[in-house]
Order: sequence, then C-alpha cells, then structure tokens
Amino acid sequence: MTRNASAHKRKRTPARPRSRKTAPATRKTSPRPGRRATNKKAIRDRIVKSALSLFQSKGFDATTTKAIARKAGIAEGTVFNYFTSKDDIALHFFEQEVDQAMAAVRDNPRLRKAPLEEKLFALVHSQLEYLAPYERFIGSALIHALKPSSPLGPFSHRAMELRHRYLRFVEELIAESVPRQQNPLGFLAPEIFWIYYLGALLFWLYDTSPGKQNTLAFLDRSLSMGAAMLRQGKRHGR
Amino acid sequence: MADDRQAPVRRAFSIANMGVGIAGSYLGYAVQRAILGETKTRGKLSATHTRAARRMADEMQTLRGAAMKFGQTLSLQTGTLPDETLAELATLQMNAPPMHPSLVRAQFKQSLGKEPEETFRQFAAEPFAAASLGQVHHAITRDGKRVAVKIQYPGIRQSLANDFRMFRALTKAAQASGHLPKSAIDEVEQQILAETDYRREADNIDFLGRQLAPLSFVDVPVVLREYSSDKVLTMSLMRGRHLDDFLAAHPSQELRNKLGTNLFELFYYQLLKVEALHADPHWGNYLFKKDGAISLVDFGCTKYMSPALVAHLRTAFLYPGSTHSAEFSRRLENYYQEAGQKLLPETRRALIRFADNFYRPVYPPRADEARPFDFGNKNFLQVFVAESKNLVRARGMFSELIFMVRAEMGMYQTLHRLKARVHTSRIVKKYL
Repeated sequence: MTRNASAHKRKRTPARPRSRKTAPATRKTSPRPGRRATNKKAIRDRIVKSALSLFQSKGFDATTTKAIARKAGIAEGTVFNYFTSKDDIALHFFEQEVDQAMAAVRDNPRLRKAPLEEKLFALVHSQLEYLAPYERFIGSALIHALKPSSPLGPFSHRAMELRHRYLRFVEELIAESVPRQQNPLGFLAPEIFWIYYLGALLFWLYDTSPGKQNTLAFLDRSLSMGAAMLRQGKRHGR
Repeated sequence: MADDRQAPVRRAFSIANMGVGIAGSYLGYAVQRAILGETKTRGKLSATHTRAARRMADEMQTLRGAAMKFGQTLSLQTGTLPDETLAELATLQMNAPPMHPSLVRAQFKQSLGKEPEETFRQFAAEPFAAASLGQVHHAITRDGKRVAVKIQYPGIRQSLANDFRMFRALTKAAQASGHLPKSAIDEVEQQILAETDYRREADNIDFLGRQLAPLSFVDVPVVLREYSSDKVLTMSLMRGRHLDDFLAAHPSQELRNKLGTNLFELFYYQLLKVEALHADPHWGNYLFKKDGAISLVDFGCTKYMSPALVAHLRTAFLYPGSTHSAEFSRRLENYYQEAGQKLLPETRRALIRFADNFYRPVYPPRADEARPFDFGNKNFLQVFVAESKNLVRARGMFSELIFMVRAEMGMYQTLHRLKARVHTSRIVKKYL
C-alpha cells in the first residue's frame, strides 16, 4: 500500500509554495508540465474527496490525516505536500464551493439580465447543491468553526479572505440591479447578506421536507422580499 | 424548520388581508405593496395570473394555497360575501407565487434529476400559464412532440397543511355547531392535499381520457410519464382559447349555445355516467375551440363519486311529482342516509326550497322542454347561491355535496358568462 502510494510522490512542485520543502522527489517527473499539473490536481482532488467522504461518515473531529491518506491511496506525508492540516482541506473545499458558485452565476448567460433575487438565488442554490453530498459534515463544520483557534473560524485570515471575496461578489450583483449611490442600504447589504446566508445554511441543514422543498421555497420568498426591500430603498432614497 | 413556525403567522396576515380587500379597503394591500414593491418579471408573470381570473382583486392572485377555497366554504356558511363574489370564488384557482427560471430549473432538477434544457429539445424559460399550485411551460421533446410542462412551486404541500391547521382553529365554533362538519373539512383537506401530487393527477388524466372518449367534443391530454413526477407533469399540448379570449372574439349566439350545451352535457355525463367529476371549475382549466369543442387541461381536483350516492341522486333529479310529496322526501332521505347523514327536518325544508326555487325553473321536469333555459339572465345564479347558503345553514352539506355544488356553481358561472341557451332537462334525461 505504502509503496504503491509513493508512486504518487513524483510531483516536484507541490500545490502550495509553503509545502514545497516537504515534497520529496522519488522519480523523474513526466516530461510534460501540463500533464504534471493535471496529475497534481487529480491527487489534490482525490485527497479532498477522500477527506470529505470521511468527514461525512466519521465526523470531522474523528477523522485523521492518516485515514484520509489511506482512503486516497497515498502516504500520509503526501497529504502534507498538498495541505497543512485537515482544516486546510476543509477550507480548500469551501473555497472551491464559493468559486464554483460564483462561476455558476457569472458564466450563465441566462442570468445576465435576470433580476437580483434570481441571481442571488442561483448563487446560494448552487452553493447548497455543491454542499449537499456532505450535509452531515457541514453541520459539524459550522460548530467547529465557532472554536476560536479554528482555521475555519470566522476570524482566521483565510476564512476572512474567502468571505470577503464572496461578499464583494454579492455586492457586485446588488450594484448591477441597484446602483450604489442610489442605495442608502447599500453599504450594509453584503453584511446583511452574510448573516442571511448563514441563516439559509442552517435552514437547509434542518430542513426535513422531502427533497428539501422548503429550502427552495424559503430562498425564493426571502430573496424576493430582500431584493424588493433594496429596490424600495432606492425609490425612497432618490 | 423555521418556516414551519413562521408560515401560519405570515399566512394569517395574508388571509386577513384578503378580507380587507374584499370589504372594499385596499389599505392592507397598499401596505404590503409599499413594503414589497414589484419586480419586472414578477409583474409580467402576475399578468398571466391576472388574466386567468380577471375580475378578482390583485391580492387574491398573490395569495398562495387554498385560501380562496376556504373563503368560499367559510362565506357559504356565514354569508359574509356578496353572492356574486361567491360565485366567482368557485372558479378561482389555487395560485402559487410565480417562479423565476432559476427556481423552475432547480425544482425540475430536484424532481427529475436533470435540468429541463437537458431533458427536452426545447424548453421555454417563461411560463405561458398559471396552473393550480404552479406554472406551465411550453417544451418540445427530443422526438419532436409539443408538450406542456406543469411545474409545482416548492414546499406547497407543507404550506397548504399549515393553512388547514389554521382554518381548523378559526372554524372551531362552526365545527362544534355542526354547520361545518369536521368530516367536510377533512374531505376538502384530503382533496386539496391530493392535488399537490401530480402523479395522482396523471392517473386522473388517464382515467378521464378513457372515460370521456365517447364524447366527441371533449379533448383530454395524454400524459408523458417519462417526464413526470409528483412535482412535474408533462402532457400533450392542448389547443383552444380561454373563456375570456373566446368571448373577446364575439362568438355568435349559436356557437355560444353549442359550447354551453357541450359544457352542460360534459358535466352530467361525468356525474351520471362516469361518476367522477373534473371538479375544479376554474376557467383556466377549459379551452374552447371554434367548433364548440372543449379541451380540459387541469385534473388535480378530480372527484370520484360514490356510485350508490349517484344512484340516489338520479331518483331525485327531474322528479316529476310534487316536491312536497312524501315520495320526494323519501328519496331525499335515502340520499342522505346513503351519505351517512340523518335528514333533519330543517334540511329537508331547505332542500325542497332549493328544488322549488332553483331546479324546477332551470330544469323543468316535463312540458315546456322544447324551450331552452337562458343562462344569460343573472337571477338564476343568485338563486343558486342563496339556496346553497340556505342549505349549509340548514346543516345539509356533506363532503361529496360540497364538491358537487362547487363544480355545479362553476359550470353555471361559465354558462352565464357565455350567455348560453341550453336544453337542460333534455340533456339530463339522456343520462338518467
């Protein structure tokens, strides 16, 4: 198993610069860098996938990096070539989640002229769709994030950066529908949205209706109400 | 979860709002409008909804769930609404809020596993009609069939259940006094909740499609099961015009008579031959064609009658003797007994009054049969509503009767708008 796994250590350049020094090269790397990068991404994805499936089945706290490595079919050390800790893996997952959701809204030509509530709906819904297979883990991650020392916590640098990026995107979406200078609530809206998003996440986690039907209805009704309030603010503000 | 707790409160506000609207004040509505405003797409969508039930106040259109059906039952029993409004309520649809394309896609995918654009060759992002509890989109299947795809608003079943919880609480007094039997509420709830299952509706379509085949002037769609689930219903696209559009083209009296006659015959064919009723008389559920043919489009509320009850009903229809005779009373008694109800003296009096004031003039049992009844005159409708209310007051309503009366009232309302002249008794006699 371990020997087999060592075959995967061939990548010289690790995913992140900080783990570079820990990456040993055991074999000659493939001549084409494109392929190497692809391979690297494949391993990284495999680690994330294995980790999430363990977080989901065993719980976040009970999952060790060793177990993650075993599940991914690589050596434990290899995991550290890519990630510093399991928190790091989780954060990476959340970064991916946010990135794909933003892309889902941006790259969808149908949404270009859509009203604000629809864009926000598409954003949150694609996030929830991404999270759906790991529902149990999301619940425990929310709790875990409340620990002051946790890198997942709202005050860790990377988590803050992620939230910032996400909210800046929300702000852009709002500005497309309600110009900033016409929106007296504008400066608050992204912050309010963040609280709303956490609320929606909780609602989704505790939604026991078949197919999470109530979450869809909740998102639709609350977002149209929120968007209408912003628009109303604009009308009164001017 | 939080929604479960909040929903009844929010809907209580909405229902209170509806009361305010009907009483003539639009204050509540104005407040709601001021808070919520209106978006472009939503405005466009609600235009579809408004056309469908054109004369009702706007807030009724935005109200979800079965509120208007409650409103109808409730006002039948308390007499709070003017009769005319009540008759219109019979034809109202259970509307859901309009869905934007992203929500439609999410709901479709959640239900059938793939997005509509992946499933069909073509799928129209904008709906072409409002349907009970959802909206309907045009689509073309991969093998080129034109279809209508009905998609349900998410979570509607839950919110309807909430409505009923509140309705039961509101009507405790009427239930205790027997004016609104618990069994009647159970029946309405069961029927309305059943409407949220589109699979059941697909069964209804198949059933009525087979049963109504002998009527050459009625078209029933064909369900495409491979594109259907409990929340999505795909069926062949039906042709024809809605009542409003049909009337806007100024059809001749002859055509209106023909259509009215067909509609009337359809009702009694269902009741007496099929013993099941397409019981949601909303105008959006019928499409009319230039040759007088009728296309049915919404089958959520299909009521299967008890054959034994229908058998007793037959003996009372067009009863040639005196309505005050012992024989007529006996027939009424049998009918109520079959329904598991004792016929109270006051109920009997109400029924006889109903027969004398409404059925005798509208359905003359013999003699002047050659003369068709003119539904253009409004009086008959007022009499029907007044007598229905009287029957409820006399504790004569039971669950099956509620659906029949509602369907019947809806039919009269449509016949009145068509100003049709129909040989009523002659048609009923055909199926007795």
